[in-house]
Amino acid sequence: MTFIIQKTLVYSIPLLIVALAGMFAERSGIINLALEGEMIFGAFIGAVAVYLFQTGNILVEHPQIMYVVAMIIGAAAGAVYSLLLSFSAVKLKADQTIGGTALNMLSPALVNTLALTFFSQEKLVMPLSTNFVLKNEDAGEFLKIFIDKAYISTPIIIILFIVLSVWIYKTRTGMRMRACGEHPQAADSVGINVDKMRYLGTTISGALAGCGGYIYIATTAGGTAESTVAGMGFLALAIMIFGNWKPLGIALGAVMFGFLKCIGAVSSSIDLLKNLGLPMYFYNIIPYFVVLVVLAFTAKKSGCPKAEGIPYDKGMR
Amino acid sequence: MKRAVSIVLCLAMILCSVALFASCGNKTYEIAIVTDVGQLKDGGFNEGTYNGAKNYAEKNNITYQYYQPANGANATDNDRIAAMRQAVKNGAKIIIAPGFLQATAMETVAKDSPEVKFVFIDGWALGLDNVTAVVYKEEESGYMAGYAAVMDGYTKLGGTFGGGGTNPACNRFGFGFVQGAAAAASELATDIEIKYSYKYGSGFGSSPELQTQIAGWYAAGTQVVFSCGGSMVQSVKSAAEETTNGKIIGVDVDQASLSDRVITSAVKGLSVSVEKILTQFYAGEWDAKLANKTSNLGAADDATGIPFDTSRFQKFTKAQYEALFAKVKAGEISISSEVPENCNDAAWLTAAVADNAHVTIVFDK
Repeated sequence: MTFIIQKTLVYSIPLLIVALAGMFAERSGIINLALEGEMIFGAFIGAVAVYLFQTGNILVEHPQIMYVVAMIIGAAAGAVYSLLLSFSAVKLKADQTIGGTALNMLSPALVNTLALTFFSQEKLVMPLSTNFVLKNEDAGEFLKIFIDKAYISTPIIIILFIVLSVWIYKTRTGMRMRACGEHPQAADSVGINVDKMRYLGTTISGALAGCGGYIYIATTAGGTAESTVAGMGFLALAIMIFGNWKPLGIALGAVMFGFLKCIGAVSSSIDLLKNLGLPMYFYNIIPYFVVLVVLAFTAKKSGCPKAEGIPYDKGMR
Repeated sequence: MKRAVSIVLCLAMILCSVALFASCGNKTYEIAIVTDVGQLKDGGFNEGTYNGAKNYAEKNNITYQYYQPANGANATDNDRIAAMRQAVKNGAKIIIAPGFLQATAMETVAKDSPEVKFVFIDGWALGLDNVTAVVYKEEESGYMAGYAAVMDGYTKLGGTFGGGGTNPACNRFGFGFVQGAAAAASELATDIEIKYSYKYGSGFGSSPELQTQIAGWYAAGTQVVFSCGGSMVQSVKSAAEETTNGKIIGVDVDQASLSDRVITSAVKGLSVSVEKILTQFYAGEWDAKLANKTSNLGAADDATGIPFDTSRFQKFTKAQYEALFAKVKAGEISISSEVPENCNDAAWLTAAVADNAHVTIVFDK
């Protein structure tokens, strides 16, 4: 049981944080299709940081601290990268869908070029064996979920998720940001700087996506960065839509996706599931099927921010 | 004004690209390596081939360069053709291409450029005089790794294989592994269980799915997992290092340095054989020894085996390994390499070990 919960979390945590990233951008009025690209870039820069730490013999004795630092650096990289999107969308009033798509195409190419230039390979493998896993075999069953065979990123992301969800709903800045996604003209009329709010939303979004990208490679590929995150960014977008642009829905969606993916992968190791004999494709299909059904029934009262994707024009009322 | 600026910019761009091409044009590379799906630095197949060429080239002061076909794991024949043509254009005299997927591309380019020689690793003779093929008896390496693991006391084994069941090299590795483990199980009269899967890693990459699947195996008691396919080892490593004791068997080249969980590796002598072929080529022996021929390399050529000195065995001794190796080399142990074209099916494997009561196959599909 503990095993399934842990493995569900391995999938869910990056999805959770990246879907929240998408929500932050869209709530401020910017469609962030570039989540995938931001994840790839954040993951790569995080990996570069760990590479430098290891070759420079910094923090090698403290893998957990190194992991957290790499997450922060990945987040910073994602934030910087997302500025390209917010600049084109806010300042240049460009089409956000096209801007996001361009960033998604730019990121793998950029990572390949950088990796080939500095490491003469398309993949950045860590010089030392990297594994940030925590091990506490004597812990109680419940605690084990978080501290045995688990990653420190899990509790950090859960806390961050709660804090940010409360922040966007309960604080003044958070509410202002949401207003800019619903009706920027009204927000502007009461003195809110729409451009600033949109920059803020997209930057937070980029940071979360970059952080999620590094967590993804650190927990599943020993920290090896490539020019892909296997479509996790797009999956996160789907989860955000499934979650109706709300944190609780996103959490539910991420856990459901994670759980079913996990069940599909381990079905042969659990007797109960083995006896059912369902192919892994079945489990892989369910979450998408559920998304379709849910969208079909809820599309009418979609929580989609009203002004997302529309460049803010002061003159338009 | 705007127009003037854009014209200037356009001219600058054209000049730049011309300069770039010109600077490229000056450099030629005699030995070219066109990689298989996966990455150059996959710590295995591509890297082993590349290292062989690199060693030879550096020893003899010959220029060398690698080319990775575009689109990574989804490279098409056209991408490979483009990479090979680029190699020819850059002055390659001999192109080394690992991976059976390169057949079509190699046939096309080899016909176009009869003056360039091609080395088809894991391939077969294409009926062209400028192509030579090298195949390995992977089943021997797999056999020795499986035998050693069971002799060392492991009873619950696993194997995850790349290529989705259609990669002949992976299939031979896997079949040999099962046969070796089975032989050791009868010798020791202990019961063993082998989990066998092609489920994830058809593109030889790491993924959370693979990591979860292997973590599931370790959690259900599997002690050692044979990771057979390029970068897949990264996910297996992640899964192993989450456990207290999970072990790994590497593939293609000695992967002991990757993690202290790697107990041994089923290697094939990629770099050794590439060096050998290059030596023969530069000695002018192409027509006599290599043209349109397939070299089938095994223990007899020291091209298969396990790297005992870097292995982390508890009980399996060097003497035991040497005895085993000698037997394989002399052909005293018959190891079958008869695998179906698509191995992603439990029936053939269960049938193959049906007469051995000590072995249970759990096929994870």
